[in-house]
Amino acid sequence: MTRELTGSEAAALAEALVPGSVDRTTETACYLKPDRLVETLRALRDDPEANLVHLTNLCGVDYWDHFEVVYHIQSFEKNHLACFKVEAWDREKPEVPSVTPVFHGAWMQECEAYDLFGIQFAGHPNLYRILLWEGYPGWPLRKDFLAMPGGLQPGLGEFAGVARRQEPPVKVIE
Amino acid sequence: MTPFLTSDRWYDIRDLGNLSSAILEALDKVLPFEVVYILAAVIGFVASFLLFVLPSQLFVGVYGERRLIGRMQSRLGPNRVGPFGLLQPIADAIKLIQKEALTPTQADRAVMYVAPILFVMPAVLLWAVIPFGEHMVIADIPVSLMYFLAVSSLPVIATFMAGWSANNKYSLFGAMRIVSMVISYESPLVLTLLGAVVLTGTISLSGMVAWADEFNIWVVFVQPLALVIYFICVSAELNRTPVDIAEAESEIVAGYLTEYSGMKWGLFYGMDIGYALAASGFITTVFLGGWTFFGLEAWIPGWLIFIAKTYLIYFLFIWTRGTLPRLRADQLMAFAWKFLLPLGVFNLLIVSTERMLWFEQDYAKGLVYVFAAVNIALSAVLVYVWARFNGYRPERTPTRPRLVKQAGGYIPVGERS
Amino acid sequence: MSGVIKSEPFVINIGPQHPSTHGVFRIKATVDGEKVIDAEMVMGYLHRSMEKLAEERTYTQNIPFTDRTDYLSSMSNNLGYCLAVEKLAGIEVPPRGNAIRVIMAELQRLASHCMAVGAFANDTGAWQTPVMWAFREREKILDIFEVTSGARLTCNYMRIGGVAFDLRPEFEPMVRRVLRDFPPFIDEMEGLLSGNEIFIARTKGVGVLTPEMATNASLSGPMLRGSGIAWDIRKADPYCGYEQYDFDIPIGYNGDSYDRFIVRLEEMRQSVRIIQQALDGLPGGPFRTEVPLALRPPKGEAYARIESPRGELGYYLVSDEGPSPYRFHIRPPSFINLSALKEMTVGGTVADAIVVLGSIDIVVGEIDR
Repeated sequence: MTRELTGSEAAALAEALVPGSVDRTTETACYLKPDRLVETLRALRDDPEANLVHLTNLCGVDYWDHFEVVYHIQSFEKNHLACFKVEAWDREKPEVPSVTPVFHGAWMQECEAYDLFGIQFAGHPNLYRILLWEGYPGWPLRKDFLAMPGGLQPGLGEFAGVARRQEPPVKVIE
Repeated sequence: MTPFLTSDRWYDIRDLGNLSSAILEALDKVLPFEVVYILAAVIGFVASFLLFVLPSQLFVGVYGERRLIGRMQSRLGPNRVGPFGLLQPIADAIKLIQKEALTPTQADRAVMYVAPILFVMPAVLLWAVIPFGEHMVIADIPVSLMYFLAVSSLPVIATFMAGWSANNKYSLFGAMRIVSMVISYESPLVLTLLGAVVLTGTISLSGMVAWADEFNIWVVFVQPLALVIYFICVSAELNRTPVDIAEAESEIVAGYLTEYSGMKWGLFYGMDIGYALAASGFITTVFLGGWTFFGLEAWIPGWLIFIAKTYLIYFLFIWTRGTLPRLRADQLMAFAWKFLLPLGVFNLLIVSTERMLWFEQDYAKGLVYVFAAVNIALSAVLVYVWARFNGYRPERTPTRPRLVKQAGGYIPVGERS
Repeated sequence: MSGVIKSEPFVINIGPQHPSTHGVFRIKATVDGEKVIDAEMVMGYLHRSMEKLAEERTYTQNIPFTDRTDYLSSMSNNLGYCLAVEKLAGIEVPPRGNAIRVIMAELQRLASHCMAVGAFANDTGAWQTPVMWAFREREKILDIFEVTSGARLTCNYMRIGGVAFDLRPEFEPMVRRVLRDFPPFIDEMEGLLSGNEIFIARTKGVGVLTPEMATNASLSGPMLRGSGIAWDIRKADPYCGYEQYDFDIPIGYNGDSYDRFIVRLEEMRQSVRIIQQALDGLPGGPFRTEVPLALRPPKGEAYARIESPRGELGYYLVSDEGPSPYRFHIRPPSFINLSALKEMTVGGTVADAIVVLGSIDIVVGEIDR
């Protein structure tokens, strides 16, 4: 079985290699500081103990007030999987460093996250809208993409007996 | 035992040439010589082209090929139009005629229109020198082999025109590929035919058939390597599948045919089959003894034997098409220059030596069989040795992957797990 | 001589409508003669915004979407999604459900590899014959799917907590027939292609991926195994009880297109072995855990992955206790396997680029989602 590292285990690995890189941990994930991200992942990739060589999954998540970029990185020889995250709090122009210099396989997934969330990946060699066309209005996977002035919101919540989600007020994009 | 039909009479159906000769002799008494000469050509054309070539193209080339390839691919093939789907080629032709013949706006219109017509003409001309029977040949010229080679090199100009004029990058790819390929393959092709010419001592196709009849052996038995090389080369010239890089469907869409539609495309398609048939007839005549079959032609009409052999060779074309993958362009050129050409030279060397020995033995009849046995063995050895020399090492390519029980990291080759 | 012959590179568009791109996918290749000197991928022609649509529907309603991502292996996609939801909500699947899932996933692997192997042979120019033979065998598997789930291509058979219906009595004889017919078919394909000198010349040494590059470019599935890395989620991270079955991981030698091809052929053999074992030991009992229709998993996130025919198929779900996923992300194997396309094609000819693309075995529905 692949051992899925808890947040604190991943944090311990990261702290041992790059002190001061961990922001906080949760049960499943370890939040890294954006400015130390590339350095930390490179160290984790090259370290034989961590051996996190294979960036399996990279995706963005929109939490209304901030964005998270999730990295699932695994090791073949140690057979473990760690989940790292970085946060971007600037809603107008979210930016996180690109890990393409460390993991070549990140470039298409970062393009996709940029295409659908509008997250800028600083240092990416060729960031372009990979699925949608250039000049597409807005960023479709953002939670407020479908928000209309009339109050239409994404998500269900209209089921009988289901309370509406507690969500921050919707921002209207032009 | 004497054949049940007397020879050289107009009613002798073993050679339809007798019938036309009888008509012409009768007409010669009333008409001037020039008219009879033209009439002979017309009769020959009608007889060979309309009675054999065109039906063969339609029902063997289009229907039979699709049907056979269908069987090879475990499907049925055309089976809806007419009995057993036999009218499918006619339905196809009607559809093609109805379709609009598109020309791209940026194309060179004149060249694009001329190319299919230029492509058709040599396919018709080729049949002029192929003997269907002893007298059944439209033009029995003494240099018919040279004539065939010269005319069969013409269509490459038409295909190059087609690819160039369409102003499409894929068409251009196809055009450039076919020109480079034909240049590469023309030399081994001619070299191997030279082997047959040296052996038989004639460049007349009728003469070659007569040679096979006289010595009671086909050229292919004395020259097996020549047939193999010629078959490969002619496949390349005809764009048949193992070497169809000029219209490689999966790579460059349709090559020089990309922008063609309607009957303009249909002419290319139909005449591709026509060239393959003509090449089959040519192989039959040069290598397989034409209309002879070790004395059987005294009983069965020779033209039937010829047609059967032609279809057999055509079946080989279909078979390779249904089986083999396609070579890459550069590999194809390398194959011609590094493999076929040296083998052709070796073959020529061997056959010239044998011819000299044979000449010193005053053309002893039994010696040919010795040559045949020697050449068959020698060809097999030569092909194997030359292939090894060229880097063919089948044992070096493992066709099964390694198997491991446990997941983990990289396992270098040679390491057990 | 007046001067040297000059040549200049030009761009050809391989796709979006091209016989060998297997859908609406486009490579903008800059070529110098026949040699590819630059390759750029253009995709998104089939983008249907599934990740957004899935945020509007309940967890169960999302299962049909997963059919439509990788339409050649819908069972595997259903399975991956259901596993992710089960991981998120902590649902246990009964043993019979797991065994049925394994049989279906492996049958789907056979069907999908049939298509991959046949289409790859077609790309090398073996005109239609291998692909037709492969379709003949694939047809039998699709018939099984039709009997079991009512659909051939988009099966929508897996459910959260198990599978949709129990097996029908016709199922077992049909699977036995497939198990009987498949090994001879694989041998037939091997006889037709694996030892064929032309096929070897076309694929050997084309699109070579070193193990370092394969790892760094996040590849998975046969691409990774072709490069000699023994990595299979079924072995490394067993799901649905794969640890009970005895099978091997095929790995290649030097990571070229030929290795990927023989790895796929061998995987079909291993799949036959797995189905045999699963069918022989098919347990009784319920095939599904009862799960509320409007499932509301607890707040949290889950990343579950399976070994789909194309590689590691992962689903990353975030729940906010609502009836629909807060975030639904697919880790599409054939999309990410394309990351190394440029490295593999540049330097080869146009014909090589087609072979490389065929050996990746892309499904455009999954690339564009």
